[in-house]
Amino acid sequence: MSTLAFYPGCLVLQRMPEYELATRAVLSTLGIELETVQEAVCCGSPVAESFTADWIYLSAYNLALIERMGHDTVVTICGGCTNSLARTARALQDPAVLSEANRRLAQFGLTVAGRVTPKHLVRLLTERLDDLRARIVRPLSLQVAVTTPCQALRPDDVMGFGDDPLEPQSIRRLVRLTGAEVLDYPGENECCGATLYLADSTLSLKAGRRKLEAVQEADALLLGCGNCQLLLRRFQRFIIRDRPSLRKRALFLPQLLGLALGLPEESLGLRKGVWLR
Amino acid sequence: MTALAHPQECLQCGLCVTVCPVEMVGGHAIVTFMADPTATDFSVWLCTSCWRCQESCPGGIDIYGLMMAWRRQESDTAPEGYRVAFEHILAHGQAMAVSQEELDQMRAAWGLEPVRLPPPDVARRLLTPSPAVR
Repeated sequence: MSTLAFYPGCLVLQRMPEYELATRAVLSTLGIELETVQEAVCCGSPVAESFTADWIYLSAYNLALIERMGHDTVVTICGGCTNSLARTARALQDPAVLSEANRRLAQFGLTVAGRVTPKHLVRLLTERLDDLRARIVRPLSLQVAVTTPCQALRPDDVMGFGDDPLEPQSIRRLVRLTGAEVLDYPGENECCGATLYLADSTLSLKAGRRKLEAVQEADALLLGCGNCQLLLRRFQRFIIRDRPSLRKRALFLPQLLGLALGLPEESLGLRKGVWLR
Repeated sequence: MTALAHPQECLQCGLCVTVCPVEMVGGHAIVTFMADPTATDFSVWLCTSCWRCQESCPGGIDIYGLMMAWRRQESDTAPEGYRVAFEHILAHGQAMAVSQEELDQMRAAWGLEPVRLPPPDVARRLLTPSPAVR
């Protein structure tokens, strides 16, 4: 059993307990426990970054908390948080940034060295493909349309994902382990447009509509980011208001994996009898 | 906007436009931004921060960095969604407001361990330059 730090980020912490629950359940079968970073602040991107170049000190504070916990890896399940923490870890390699970060952290009795690696769940699971494959006990027969967490993969030179940043295959490989099929659809690698909602809700819903129309052949959407879930699932009723037949179910990646690992639906935040018949 | 306008490396090739989700729904205009950010009615606040334009750019331009720099220069034009979220961060350390009590109840209902929210003013203090470099 190993323990890694876990940074849920604002959106998942406050709105998506089922995503965290399923993540913990799946990692637990691989012998990985998650220890949540207490008193963590927002990662800073893109909201704080849009107002101040100093946003990195928010993430530096989170990295300092993780170092104090004694961890060198932090698991994330939101694309945006992964990106902010990784870009901040990179920025801290500049001695001037590092010393300014430590000056600001001193008032909280914290220090940062910049030695923590943020890892998105997709990357962590991809490193354990064989381990996962060996534990699949309930092969699934459904077809899913994948949306990839944009910010977890790009910019490639910072994220260190080891996947093609424009045509990523990691989630597809994980899905195939479960027996589920992956639908090829136009615009698969395009951003869903969720973060556009903060600036222009009409355009954002229009972007979501494009995705939803393109995935109609699939049984479900397969999500690896809270923002995608927010737009494509929670706001789906606004997207399809004039065409309810476009309705599409959705699963988070760890929920799909958990089903194939034979975990009970309730331990994955799923309603009984909906996905397994 | 002189300091940020027209990066010399931009060839106006338009590859960025073909991968931008906002362009696909009739907003934005990255190529125009790269030539002259004042030459478009669309807002820099539309960027979804998906980084596909940056990853595709043959000139290796930090398009995302430029978008963010333009936003900071025009922070008085920020849409309400961004302004409210930033105010929440400054006041509560989180992009959305939730009380410790509400969070505790929700997590207990899902059988998840409690998580402590940050002290209220931590973000504001972190965003204030240290005296040594002020």
